[in-house]
Amino acid sequence: MAVPAAELRSKAVARSGGAVGLRRVLGPDHRMGYLFVAPIAICVLSLVAYPFCYAIYLSMTHKLVGMPPIFVGFENYIRLTWDGFFQRAVVNSFVFTFGSVALKLVFGVVMALVLTSNIRWRSFWTGVLLVPWVAPTVVSALNFLWMFDGSLGVLNYLLVRVFRILPQGVGWLSEPGTAMASVIAVNVWRGFPFFGISFLAGMKAIPAELYEAAAVDGANVVQRFRHVTLPGIKNILIIVVLLSTIWTFNDFQIIYILTKGGPGGTTMVMPVFTYETAFGAQRLGEAIAVALYLLPVLAVTIMVLARYMRKGRRR
Amino acid sequence: MDRRVRSLAEQVEANQISRREFVRRTAAITGGTAVGLSVLGKMAEAQGPKMRVWLFKSFVTDSNEILAKQVEAWAKERKVQVEMDWATFGDREQKFVAAIEAGSPPDLAEMNAFGPTRYKPALRDVSALAKDIATARGGLLPHAERYVVLAGQHFGVARQTWPGGFFIRKDLLDAKGIKPPKVYDPDVVEMAKKIQDPSKDLWGLGQTLNRSDDGNGYMQNILWNYGGGTWDKDGKPALATTYLKQNIEALQFSVDTIQKHKIQPPGVMSWTDVHNNEAFMAGKLVSTNNGASLYYAMVAKKHPLAEKTQVIATPGGPAGSFLAAGCYNWGIFKASKHTELSEDLVRWVEDEKRFEEYMKASIGQAGPVYKKRAENPYWKSDPNFDGMLQNVLRGVWPGYPGPITAAAVEVQAQYILCDMAGRVVAGGLSAEAALKEAHKRVEEIHRIRSRA
Repeated sequence: MAVPAAELRSKAVARSGGAVGLRRVLGPDHRMGYLFVAPIAICVLSLVAYPFCYAIYLSMTHKLVGMPPIFVGFENYIRLTWDGFFQRAVVNSFVFTFGSVALKLVFGVVMALVLTSNIRWRSFWTGVLLVPWVAPTVVSALNFLWMFDGSLGVLNYLLVRVFRILPQGVGWLSEPGTAMASVIAVNVWRGFPFFGISFLAGMKAIPAELYEAAAVDGANVVQRFRHVTLPGIKNILIIVVLLSTIWTFNDFQIIYILTKGGPGGTTMVMPVFTYETAFGAQRLGEAIAVALYLLPVLAVTIMVLARYMRKGRRR
Repeated sequence: MDRRVRSLAEQVEANQISRREFVRRTAAITGGTAVGLSVLGKMAEAQGPKMRVWLFKSFVTDSNEILAKQVEAWAKERKVQVEMDWATFGDREQKFVAAIEAGSPPDLAEMNAFGPTRYKPALRDVSALAKDIATARGGLLPHAERYVVLAGQHFGVARQTWPGGFFIRKDLLDAKGIKPPKVYDPDVVEMAKKIQDPSKDLWGLGQTLNRSDDGNGYMQNILWNYGGGTWDKDGKPALATTYLKQNIEALQFSVDTIQKHKIQPPGVMSWTDVHNNEAFMAGKLVSTNNGASLYYAMVAKKHPLAEKTQVIATPGGPAGSFLAAGCYNWGIFKASKHTELSEDLVRWVEDEKRFEEYMKASIGQAGPVYKKRAENPYWKSDPNFDGMLQNVLRGVWPGYPGPITAAAVEVQAQYILCDMAGRVVAGGLSAEAALKEAHKRVEEIHRIRSRA
């Protein structure tokens, strides 16, 4: 039976309609595009997405070393929620992170302001102030471990024997009042140059005319800082605070070397707790649950900050 | 990038060859290299089988070197390629966990006392070999048997126990006419108070309760010394139940050494395993608990305090003197393709002449795990070895008076007892409240491990 030519044409168009639409949207080379994107997509999926999804799965299992995982749903998360030791680790993590970041912010701004002023040997001082940031964390932490030592440390030696400020040495890392402060101090010492050098770059980009105009309008030093410097480095400040919050929250080396989370959990933070659960208790499923527990909170914080930054840029 | 491929790339850039020619030649170079590597691999195989052996690096460097040389000599004799790797205190568990989970553990590994319990699913039953070696040496000492024999099967071949001891400054005790202490309370407390001089930074006792092996060992022992413990004889948690009264006394005494008696230096609650060694060698302590490695360090370095130091059996308490003795052992992994060679290597290094060479270089650290080794005249060659040997011979295990269990090992590994002490010293809890808090954690571990 003969089929009219018009009908054949309309069927062919209907068959190829989807492909034509896709080509119109993605462009004529879209197949080649897929090919080019494929390697990086495979890399991302295999190196990021797969391990991440597998970690989520493992966090919902009872997984011991050398044994197959047993699916337990949200049991690990529920158990952790009511675990007093874990709760203290969460609180300590926030104290450690926000305490450190706040102090690094202050010292970083001071460092940048000093280095933008007319001091002598500015390059030399910039190099010197970068030393804590450049030195390996393990080396810094081990040095502080010795400095804080109650009997053999240089800090007590100076305070008790040289300057005679204290009658007896202080257990810097063993007293509840000083242990957390000591580990925060080390983190601040190590991290503030990053803040300072970033702010320095931001401050140098602020046109001098703005300061001159403000001075002509009668603005004093504090007002110039508040109305010219701070708005000028706002974006850098947000990025630096954001990065430092993430790094500090995940900082493991300083606390592990100085106190291992002790005494009595006074300085126990999430990364050390994760490590102890994974390699001490050797409960891998629960360790991953610890690591993932606060991920949503951190993710929301990052998203809020990122959105705020984008808003600022649009203005 | 390969030099030849780079040269081809430059020729393409210079339009000297076509892209097609570049692809053809590159394929030829890659194929040739692959064939070459394969031939090299076959040649390497012809040199003998390849084995991976993990040894433990202790602070006693002389004996580490001797063991490595013995393994190398075996490899040469048997024409085996041995890839030796060292694990130490800070990275041992991480290495084992990573290797087991990745499915590539070594063929043979020197494990600590907890190895058989922790890694049993990945370990081979070595009962025949272990029994052979033990029988020829008069049998295993009781504590060693507990560690390596699980449900009637041997999951490790016992090698050595690292003895501990109570290190005292003999010269300072003699000057005050004080006899070596036998119990902590009142002997150690009185000795410490009479001799210490905080104004000169000399302290009576250096014993951390912080998260460390030293703190863990002490806390475990002191509970037993007062008639308490973490586990009952059936292996059930007993910290704040069966033994609550005894444990409160033991914990309170431990905290009192810092807060009430003030015989410990400032900062002792932040000490790690090396701090007391350093403080003792710096002449700042009258006494401390430590492994034999401290004695080795003093003797090997000809330290001036070596002759002024006496190592005695660890003091006890009202219920007696107890302490956990470990047991280093050899584990052969299921994944190993060289079981027979691994067994042969274990026999080689456990040969009595070779072990004696190792033991003598260790200066007290290579304590016995077999009855005949405990009778070796070496242990009478130095008066300081006597206290160390006594500690080994009366050694018990985590879980005592019950069996050693995965839960008991985990309580140690998680520093639950150290945290308990820390909660009193740094957290301001009462001894009873801290015990109850720790008991909850122990119960949870017991529940999880029982299910496994």
